Amino acid sequence: MATIALTQRSIVTTEVPWVRYTLTTLALLLIGLFLVLPLFTVFYEALKKGWGLYLTALVEPDALSAIKLTLTAAAIAVPLNLVFGVAAAWAIAKFDFRGKSVLITLIDLPFAVSPVVAGLIYVLMFGAQGWWGPWLMDHDIKVIFAIPGIVLATVFVTFPFVARELIPLMEAQGSEEEQAAMTLGASGWQTFWRVTLPNIKWGLLYGVILANARAMGEFGAVSVVSGHIRGETNTLPLHVEILYNEYNFVGAFACASLLALLALVTLAAKSLVEWRTEQLAAAARRDAVE
Amino acid sequence: MSIEIKNISKQFGEFKALDNINLEVASGELLALLGPSGCGKTSLLRVIAGLETPDDGQILFHGEDATDTHVRERQVGFVFQHYALFRHMTVFENVAFGLRVRPKKTRPSEAEIKKRVHRLLELVQLDWLADRFPAQLSGGQRQRIALARALAVEPRVLLLDEPFGALDTKVRKELRRWLRRLHDEIHVTSVFVTHDQEEALEVADRVVVMNKGKIEQVGTPAEVYDTPASPFVYQFLGDINLFHSRVHDGWAEVAGARITQTDEPNAANATLYVRPHEIDLSRVAAGSSIAGVVSHIRLLGSTVRLEVEVAEHDAVEVELTRERYAEGDWKVGEAVWLNPREAKVYLAG
Amino acid sequence: MAFKKHSVLPGFNLSLGYTLLYLTIIVLLPLSALLLKSSGLTAHAFWAVVTEPRVLASYRVTFGASLLAALINLFSGLLIAWVLVRYSFPAKRFIDALVDLPFALPTAVAGIALATIYAPNGSMGELLAPLGIKVAFTPLGIVLALTFITLPFVVRTVQPVLQDLEVELEEAASSLGATRLQIFWKVILPTLLPALLTGFALAFARAIGEYGSVIFIAGNMPYVSEITPLMIISKLEQYDYLGATAIAVVMLVVSFGLLLLINGLQWWSAKRLGRR
Repeated sequence: MATIALTQRSIVTTEVPWVRYTLTTLALLLIGLFLVLPLFTVFYEALKKGWGLYLTALVEPDALSAIKLTLTAAAIAVPLNLVFGVAAAWAIAKFDFRGKSVLITLIDLPFAVSPVVAGLIYVLMFGAQGWWGPWLMDHDIKVIFAIPGIVLATVFVTFPFVARELIPLMEAQGSEEEQAAMTLGASGWQTFWRVTLPNIKWGLLYGVILANARAMGEFGAVSVVSGHIRGETNTLPLHVEILYNEYNFVGAFACASLLALLALVTLAAKSLVEWRTEQLAAAARRDAVE
Repeated sequence: MSIEIKNISKQFGEFKALDNINLEVASGELLALLGPSGCGKTSLLRVIAGLETPDDGQILFHGEDATDTHVRERQVGFVFQHYALFRHMTVFENVAFGLRVRPKKTRPSEAEIKKRVHRLLELVQLDWLADRFPAQLSGGQRQRIALARALAVEPRVLLLDEPFGALDTKVRKELRRWLRRLHDEIHVTSVFVTHDQEEALEVADRVVVMNKGKIEQVGTPAEVYDTPASPFVYQFLGDINLFHSRVHDGWAEVAGARITQTDEPNAANATLYVRPHEIDLSRVAAGSSIAGVVSHIRLLGSTVRLEVEVAEHDAVEVELTRERYAEGDWKVGEAVWLNPREAKVYLAG
Repeated sequence: MAFKKHSVLPGFNLSLGYTLLYLTIIVLLPLSALLLKSSGLTAHAFWAVVTEPRVLASYRVTFGASLLAALINLFSGLLIAWVLVRYSFPAKRFIDALVDLPFALPTAVAGIALATIYAPNGSMGELLAPLGIKVAFTPLGIVLALTFITLPFVVRTVQPVLQDLEVELEEAASSLGATRLQIFWKVILPTLLPALLTGFALAFARAIGEYGSVIFIAGNMPYVSEITPLMIISKLEQYDYLGATAIAVVMLVVSFGLLLLINGLQWWSAKRLGRR
């Protein structure tokens, strides 16, 4: 802690050293207690009884099937929302039309809805008692308490991520480059693939990273529609819950440690993309000056 | 209130921003710190204000050492390039800020604050904007409010950092004349920083030309313009032409022609500085003429600029008034003789 | 004004059409199913369900704990943002990235980790037990879980505003005679206020709907530590779809109101910073 220095401020605009030290210590204490300790606990509890038990818990068939289902749900939900995000951002950022701000608010809506409510609405649509329930039953299609329901709930909770990253980014970029491409004879699709997409790829990746983390980690919404059938409709977070409630703490924390690793990878990837975007922005500023 | 700056040095990492600066500012004068960006002028202003601490040296206010006085107690008014108005406060509250933050004992009464703020707003001729927020004002208005705010605390000295730098040309000219008149009215010792030589020459009583952390010259606008102390000052205060020259028996010569007399000793390598408007053109050679060919003619409002190609030199710029240009009736491609009226010689190295 | 301004770029109909279709299928239709279902209840029955004593108790727990968590984060978020922007210390970049952990860590994982730490025999629980403080399986545990989950909101809304705050404002205030504390209260805090409130509202909105991290640590005792989302789940488990729907409508209305409030706050914030 000896190196607490100032970030380029004169003596006039910062606090006396003891205030700086106290505030920094307090903040680090908060972060340690609230963020580091839980993270540490997950790995500690998972490995408390040794690597053998840890690995056994992970290769157990129900765990493997939960991992598979989690990956499947994310693999469907994220690309769907990616396509949606690009389409929505194109319409909103490149054109002016009436009702745009209402549309943006509606896109944000899934963030405001409680995950439990998100699960419930699909039960009301497709469940045995729901709108489409009888029809689905007649045709022997299962949505609720089956994989399609889990995918739908996952799509709902990750709905805004990509669109939310792209809309401000594309609005800031404007459409001059696209217009230039059009005057040079490019078709609409050529313009999109060769001009727009390269410009938004980092923002896109950022949105995908966040959406993916949420998709794989969602609990509340999925819990409502899954039916908790072991080895069939349990995602990894639901599997963690079951093991924990059965007092199988090593198993629960072993599976949880996979999800915690996912979170760490997400944070690292996110930081990398942020770092990359900063670099690009800094380079653009330098070019502008020269 | 006079200011004395003694042996001030300041370093930022490897960069020497101020290198042993000595300067005196007389009571009631308006002084300009002039120089290119990175020359140390802003650092010097901030050191005077107490926003920056010098590594070495002293600042005296009216003979008293103020080096270790906190900016809060130094009683300086500081005006920033980008105004630094408090966005969440009205114009009135911005100007009143310095009075309201005083300790209870010395804080004026609410009525007194009101009176003083309105008097200041009248001084800067913006009393009618008291209830507006800064975002609703133009750049020129914001800077006048910033000035009123700085004056509210009755500063012993007024320091202005590129006060007109963020404004467009027209507003800038208006505002600097206004500042000059205001200064004549209130006579508070003022130092302002600028990189615009025209601004410094027009507004200031004295100009301090700075370069690379050092003072190049101090003098009245006429002194620094007419008798520059160094090639840098010559170059910085207006356009110039450079001629390869040599000094021989008290004369500076260009291509064999004796241009001007000098006290410099004989030297094979010297540079002759001539301003574009200090050159006459003629069709016949006089004793001190340089041969050239007119290559471009540009009309610039009230003056005309001719570019003249001279052997072994960059194109020479010559500035003529409209009348002189019409008298001469110069044409592109014509061979002419250049006759510098004024010139200054600096030896190489 | 026409529906759309002219533009040379193609793809408007396709992209907007797809956007609206997808939005309708995934979000609007299911949400309207909820509202439609609730119309199966008479106003009287609806009122009876949403004001059941146990449900009322769950509102108190949910709103109370969410409010407390958001308040805690108002202060700790400002503190963390301040330290991250203004001071430098070892591993700052790493810690900055770590602040987003609650967004990246699945809520169930956070839930079991916090429950383990603050259980009477857990690493923190052991320290707190002799002081007579019980966290896990009490309403305090709910506050703790919600504080964890919503920690990044205030930090991430305040951080950019603090970053962009010109040093000149503080220098100007200082040259006008203000002390450091006066500068904080009169210059810095008012500038941060919209961002602080936005962060607070975002955290509060998120906390109200949170389920995964809370249920493990709450103890879920009726009238004491049951949150409203749990009430929906328990109605569902009893196949009381109408009851679950009624409570969900209440939550939806609150969420939507908060969403509008947050949009308003962001508009105000942009205006206050002179960007509009």
